[in-house]
Amino acid sequence: MSLTDRIARGLEAGWKVTDATTLTDHQTHEADVIVIGTGAGGGTTAEILAKNGLSVILVEEGRLYYQKDFTMDEHSAYASLYQEGMSRTTQDGAIAILQGRCVGGSTTVNWTSSFRTPDQTLTYWADNFGLDNLSPEAMAPWFEGREQRHTVAPWQTPPNVNNDILRQGCEQLGYSWQTIPRNVKGCWNLGYCGVGCPTNAKQGALMTTIPGALDHQARLFHGLRAERLVMDQDRIDHLQASAMGADGITPSGVTVTLKARHFVVAASAIGSPGLLLRSDIPDPHARVGKRSFIHPVNATIAQMPEKVDPFYGAPQSIYSDEFNFKNGVDGPAGFKLEVPPLHPGMSAGVIPGHGPEQIDAMAGLPWTQSVIALMRDGFHPESPGGTVTLRDDGSPVLDYPITDYLWHGLKQAYLTMAEIQFAAGASKVRLVHLDSNWYTSWGEARAAINSIAMEPHRVRLFTAHQMGGCSMGQDPQTSVVNGFGEHHQVSNLSVHDASVFPTSIGANPQLSIYALAARNSARLAAKLTS
Amino acid sequence: MLDPSAARSGDTEFARLDRRSFLKSGLGGTLFLATVSTTAGLSGCATAPAGQLDAVDTQMKTSYQFRFLTRDDIELFEALLPAMFGPALPEQPQARRLAVAGTIERIDAGIENFGPANQQELRRLFDLLTFGFTRVTIARVWSRWPNVSTTDANAFLERWRTSGIGLFNNGYIALTKISNVAFYGGHDQWHLSGYPGPPQWAVDALPQFKTA
Repeated sequence: MSLTDRIARGLEAGWKVTDATTLTDHQTHEADVIVIGTGAGGGTTAEILAKNGLSVILVEEGRLYYQKDFTMDEHSAYASLYQEGMSRTTQDGAIAILQGRCVGGSTTVNWTSSFRTPDQTLTYWADNFGLDNLSPEAMAPWFEGREQRHTVAPWQTPPNVNNDILRQGCEQLGYSWQTIPRNVKGCWNLGYCGVGCPTNAKQGALMTTIPGALDHQARLFHGLRAERLVMDQDRIDHLQASAMGADGITPSGVTVTLKARHFVVAASAIGSPGLLLRSDIPDPHARVGKRSFIHPVNATIAQMPEKVDPFYGAPQSIYSDEFNFKNGVDGPAGFKLEVPPLHPGMSAGVIPGHGPEQIDAMAGLPWTQSVIALMRDGFHPESPGGTVTLRDDGSPVLDYPITDYLWHGLKQAYLTMAEIQFAAGASKVRLVHLDSNWYTSWGEARAAINSIAMEPHRVRLFTAHQMGGCSMGQDPQTSVVNGFGEHHQVSNLSVHDASVFPTSIGANPQLSIYALAARNSARLAAKLTS
Repeated sequence: MLDPSAARSGDTEFARLDRRSFLKSGLGGTLFLATVSTTAGLSGCATAPAGQLDAVDTQMKTSYQFRFLTRDDIELFEALLPAMFGPALPEQPQARRLAVAGTIERIDAGIENFGPANQQELRRLFDLLTFGFTRVTIARVWSRWPNVSTTDANAFLERWRTSGIGLFNNGYIALTKISNVAFYGGHDQWHLSGYPGPPQWAVDALPQFKTA
């Protein structure tokens, strides 16, 4: 293992990595920059700053897991690698939130889809939030640079059957489809991206920017929760952090104080607003936590005459943007169509039901195909997003009401997904919805979808994409940071993650986060080294 | 569109509340469940984790140390799991007991990682279901869980699934989701979903599976 695994090798070579769950004494450390979070944003930031000669401390609440821990097992992976042991939901429980909690953040467990921010989204930001210097032309070199860093390229291997059915259905109906760019190198096409890549093929933060930062003397504390940024007059003086206990979940009582010239928050669209709120960071217009977006996702499942084996093969390789921007960027809710992998535990958790009906559905798993629709939220007045607030214990929670505007989009998505599955030869199709039966024809499905209840808790909704909550914009009255992620009120604070997006992206956000964090970190490095 | 609540079973006086605001704030449900939780605690319900169970007074294996589920919770799941998985459980009584016990252990192990906030929510849900007064009034389950038939357990699940009240749907999802993941995600149940497990050729080739 140590010969091939990048992390094991680095640890042996003397990387400065501290497992905070082993700390027994309160302590203080100092660096040029403290980076909070080790996902797409934090990893990128740490590597670029460290390579520019700045001393960096990385703080991660989750634990450092790597190849030795990635055993293609759902139970252990959900327990260790995901926020709240995979039980995170929105405040009312209506939307399940899949989010990483480990070194590498969600890039350690995502399904590798790597899209540039759509031009329509960047143009919308320029027109509506004064973000002119984020135009498609200005961003192109940053996307290109990150595509090289994370080995992003359209997937060359033929798609697995699960994904190919989306392609077939789209072809039948004349809908456009494309091959998904993935961030992998030497991928074995196994299908276990969601439980930690067992072969180190996935080029997320864990295999790229985190090792890059550690090779350049960055220090990493994992199992350490960022509690509070403490101000001294108008600047942040230090970060107060709590070491986790042996369980990785409850604080041990040991505190770590981290002092620096500059602080970069990259704790995700739920974690970053949470930290800023806990810290009472100046927020004169009460913008922190507002405009939180999630690409609400609904799904249909189909039984196919052929074997699908949806647990094997690159989980996402085909998508359709036919309906994403079709009705204009700010028209009725558009959606991107993709495919999810279906392992037995996740499928049983996602496909609602119990008793013989559920047992039959699970028995059919090898013939089961699924399509998901990702609603592009935040581009319309009736899609203002949700709000991150703090629970009594200081932990962040997202309240996300589903507006009629989104219900309309979700219904259109149900119709489209069922139509595609029948066009691809499905023998029956079912909505991931508490009231749905199996429908044996497109006509039957269409009639049922047109009358089924579109209500929270009955429509099963998911998100793996959290965005917003510390939006960027030119106007401090309506945003938290400027177009470079620099906080409007606090000069030594930046935010480098998906929380700065002023709307959702309209595509899986990982590459958008990498590119923006790289651009903003290059500027920050120049500032701090001048 | 028809008002779905009118067509569904499970309507009670709660349905007359403004459902949207009731759910939106979550306050009604939270306050109510908090009250139940406190009442249950005061009235002497088993609120401590069951720890290592004594083989004499339970059907559970004794090697597992429960860290979240109470004895009452375990009885709740012993009653619910046959309604969820009955025909998929082994016929042979001892094997059947072991499959149920193993699933309840994995439910407990899973909840341990949920973190304090979600654990608190589940605690309220389980207290509501195991505390006599609310078990009868809210879940409409008349006997204590060890005496509830699989038919009645199924009827309860069905009532909460089809209810027009989001809070009950949410309770249904919570109960079935944690049970389903614990059950179908377990190696012993992989065959039920035709899942052969990770490809053997990859297991053979990867260093993390080499025991030496």
